[in-house]
Amino acid sequence: MDQNALAVELAGIWKRFPGVIANSDINLKVTAGTVHAIVGENGAGKSTLMKILYGMQKADEGTISINGNELVFSSPADAIEAGIGMVHQHFMLADNFTVLENIVLGSEPKSGVKLDFAKARKQISDIAAENGLAVNPDILVSELGVGDRQRIEILKVLYRGARILILDEPTAVLVPHEVDELFNTLRDLKKEGLTVIFISHKLDEVLSIADEITVIRQGTTVGSVNPHTQQVSARDLAEMMVGNELPTPQSVGDTIREEVVLKVDNLSVFAKGGKAIVDDISFEIRAGEILGIAGVEGNGQAEILDALMGIEVSTGTVHFKAEDISNQSTRHRRELGIGFIPEDRQRQALLMEAPLWENRMLGHQTREPNSKGFLLNPRGAKADTKRIVAEYDVRTPSIDVLASALSGGNQQKLIVGREMSGDPKLLIAAHPTRGVDVGAQAAIWDHIRNARQAGLAVLLVSADLDELIGLSDTIKVLLRGKFVADADPATVTPQELGTAMTGAGKAA
Amino acid sequence: MTYLKSRRFIGAAFTAITMLSITRTITGNGDLTSTVTIAQALVFASPIALAGLAGIWAERAGVINIGLEGMMILGTFGAGWAGWQWGAWAGVLAGVVFGAIGGLLLAVAAVTFGVDQIIAGTAINLLALGLTKFLAILLFTDAPGGGQAQSPPIKGDIPTYTIDAIVTPLTALHDKAIFFISDLAGLVAGLFYHLSLLTIIAAILFVMTSYLLWKTAFGLRLRSAGENPWAADSLGVKVVQYKYTAVVFSGMLAGLGGAYLSIASTIYRNGNTAGRGFIGLATMIFGDWRPGGTAAGALMFGYIDTLRLIDTGNQNVKGLILLGAIILFAIGGVMLRKAKRNSAIGFLVLGSVMVGAYFSASSFPPEVAQVAPYITTLLVLATASQNLRPPAADGVPYRKGDHH
Repeated sequence: MDQNALAVELAGIWKRFPGVIANSDINLKVTAGTVHAIVGENGAGKSTLMKILYGMQKADEGTISINGNELVFSSPADAIEAGIGMVHQHFMLADNFTVLENIVLGSEPKSGVKLDFAKARKQISDIAAENGLAVNPDILVSELGVGDRQRIEILKVLYRGARILILDEPTAVLVPHEVDELFNTLRDLKKEGLTVIFISHKLDEVLSIADEITVIRQGTTVGSVNPHTQQVSARDLAEMMVGNELPTPQSVGDTIREEVVLKVDNLSVFAKGGKAIVDDISFEIRAGEILGIAGVEGNGQAEILDALMGIEVSTGTVHFKAEDISNQSTRHRRELGIGFIPEDRQRQALLMEAPLWENRMLGHQTREPNSKGFLLNPRGAKADTKRIVAEYDVRTPSIDVLASALSGGNQQKLIVGREMSGDPKLLIAAHPTRGVDVGAQAAIWDHIRNARQAGLAVLLVSADLDELIGLSDTIKVLLRGKFVADADPATVTPQELGTAMTGAGKAA
Repeated sequence: MTYLKSRRFIGAAFTAITMLSITRTITGNGDLTSTVTIAQALVFASPIALAGLAGIWAERAGVINIGLEGMMILGTFGAGWAGWQWGAWAGVLAGVVFGAIGGLLLAVAAVTFGVDQIIAGTAINLLALGLTKFLAILLFTDAPGGGQAQSPPIKGDIPTYTIDAIVTPLTALHDKAIFFISDLAGLVAGLFYHLSLLTIIAAILFVMTSYLLWKTAFGLRLRSAGENPWAADSLGVKVVQYKYTAVVFSGMLAGLGGAYLSIASTIYRNGNTAGRGFIGLATMIFGDWRPGGTAAGALMFGYIDTLRLIDTGNQNVKGLILLGAIILFAIGGVMLRKAKRNSAIGFLVLGSVMVGAYFSASSFPPEVAQVAPYITTLLVLATASQNLRPPAADGVPYRKGDHH
C-alpha cells in the first residue's frame, strides 16, 4: 500500500447555520492506515464536520475526496457505500436485541425469507476474530457493559464493510482500562489497513494513540501535528485549541473548617430485588471541604446522590449541620441550602421544553429571587437568569429560548449557575463539567473553588479523574456500593485511581 | 422450536391438565373438560386471541394499540353488513378491510403526526362505536330481519369440521372419568369437534407471526422499530414504513377478530365485542408480547367464558373457584421455593379463602364467573409483571433524527 495515500481529503469546507458559522474553510488530510485525531473545544465544529463526512449534513462549500475520488454524500447510506462508518457517541443499540441482531439489522444475511442466523454468527465471529473484538453474538445487549457495547458498535460498522471509521468521543464513557482495550483494538484495526478518525478533547489519550492530530478552533483547522516526529505536549495542544494560556483544576490551600456540614451514617439503598446498591456507607464533609467519590459509573454514585437529596428511598441517617434530614422532603433539603447537580442533566435537572428562566426557578421556586411569598416572581427570575448567563458564559441568544435549544455544555453551565446561586452551604455535584469545553470548565472550577473558600462543602462525583484529583481534598473509592479505599489527591495518579475503581488494587 | 422451549411447553400443558383433572375429580363435574366445553372455548378464545395478536404486531413496532376494541367493532360491523348481502366469506373480507381502515387511521395519527398513542387509540374506539351505531340505524333498520341495533342474518356459513373417528372414541373415554387420561381425551376431542375454518386460520396466523417476527429479516426490522427506532434508522431501516405495515396489519387482525364474532353469532349486533379488544390487549401483556403466551391467555379467557355460559345448576362456577384456588396454591408453592415469603403467604391465604368459599356455598351466581377472568388477569399481571419485557420504545412517538 502506498504509504502516503490519502483515505480522506476535505478541502475548503464551509458550513453555515442561521446566525452561526460552524465550519469555515476546513482542510483535512487523513492518510490511509493511520489513526488521525481531531481535537477541539465544544462547539469548535468537530461534530458538524464529521456529520458532513458521514453524509448527515451537506457542506455549503468544499469537496470531499475518499481514496482520491471526489464524492458527494447526500445521506449516510452514500457514506457507508464509500466505506465510511460512524461510531456514535451515544450508542445506537436496541437493548432487548441480541448482539447478533444488533449487528446484522438492516443488512441481514438471508436464506429465502428466513434470516440466516448461522451465517450471521459465522460472519460476526470471523470479523471479531480478525480484529480482536471478542463478543458473544447470542447475548442480550442489555446484559453488557459500556466497553462491550462500544465493541458492538465498532463491529456493526466493520460488518458493513467500512474501511474508514469515525469515532465520536469514544472514550467519554469508558474507564481507564477500557480505554486501553479500545486503543489496542484501534491499533489492530490500523494493522488491518483501516483508517480511524478519532474525535476527542482528552489530549493525553489523543497523544498516546494518534499518528496525526488536527486541531480545530472556532470552526476552522488551525494546524496539524505529528506526535511521532514532533515534540508536543498535551499543554501545547490545549493551547492550540483554546488559543491562550490554560487553567488547571488545582485546588490551592487548605480551607477545611471545623464545622461538619454533612454527616451520613449507615446509608443504604436497595434495588427492587433487595440487593444493596449502596451498602451501609458513612462519611462526613466539613465546611470548605471537597469530598470526591471515584468509581466506575453504576457502582451506586447516582443512588447516593439521589438518597442525599431525598429522591431515592434509603435507610440510615443524614445530618445537615445539626439537623437530622433523613426524613425530610427534597424541597426542605434544598431550602436548607443544598445545591444539586445531577448526573443526567436532561432527565433530572432541566425541563427541556421550558425557557431558560423557568428552568432557573426549578428547585428554587420557593426562594428569592424566584418567588415573593406565595406567588412566583418571573421578573426576578428573569433578571437572575441574565446574571447566570453572563457569569457562567452560557452561550444563548436570549433567556427566553427553550433549554433544548442549548448545546449540552451550555445547559450544564446554566445548571451549575443555578445551583451555585442562593449561597448554598452544600453542593452535591455529579460531573459538574461534563460536556463543557476547556474554557468554561475552568470558570466552573473557579466558581466552585471560590465558594469552597467561603465555606461551601462539596460532594463531588466525576468520571474525569483529573478533575476529581485536582479539586478534591479527600477521595473515596466506591465499588459495588461500598467505599473500598481512600486516596490522597496530593499523591494519587489517575492510573492508580482507575485501578482501584475496578477493584484490582488499592489506591495510595 | 428449540428443545428447551418444547420441553417448557409440554411441562406447562402437563401442569394445566393436571390441575384441571384434580378439579374435575373433586367436583365430579365432567363438563369442566368435556369435548363440547373445549370446542366452545376455542370459539370464545379465537376473537380474543386475534385481538391479542393484533396487539403484538402494533406494539412490536412501537405503537401502543389501545384502539383494538374500535378496530374489532369495525370488523364486526363490516362482517355483518357485507355478510348479510354477499355471504360469510365476503363478511370476513369486509371485516378485515374495515379493521385495516381503523389501523390506517391510527398509523396516520400516531406515526405520521406523533399524536399521543393512547389518545389516538381511544379516539378510534369512540369513533368506531359511534359510527357503527349510526350506520346500523341507517342501513339495517328497514332491512328484513334487521333492526336499529343489529344487521339481518349473515348469509351462508364458514365451514366447520368434525372428525368423528377421533371425537367419538375420545368422548367415550372422557365419560369414563379416569384421572388425567379422560381429561386429556376430552381436551383433544374438543379440538376436532365443530372446528371452524376461521379458528384454523387464526392458529395459522399465530404460527406465521412467530415465524415472520422472530425468524426473518423483515421481523427483525419491524421489531427494531419498537426497540430503538433511531438505531434502526441509522442502519437504513425505513422505520415509518415498518410502523405503518405493522399497525395496518394489526387493524386487519383485529378486524378479523371482529368478523369472527359476527360470524359466530350470525349477525352484527351493537356492542357484540363487549370489551374483547381490551381483553385481547391484556392477554398480549399476559403473554409478554409473544404469540405463545398470548394464545395461552386467550384460551384461559375463552375457557372461563364457556364454563360461565354453558353452566347448568351453577356448578361450573363452583368448579372454577376450586380451579382458581388450586392455581393460587401452585403459584404460592413456587413462590415459597423461590423464597419470596410474603407473596407466597398472600397466594396461600387467598387460595384458602377460595377453598373455604367452595366448601361453604352450594352454588355461586354467574356474576362471580363474569368477573373471574379480570381478577385472574390482575393477579397474574401483579405477579408476572416484574418479568415482562415490553418493547423498549413502545408508545414513544418517533420522529426521524429526534434522538439525543
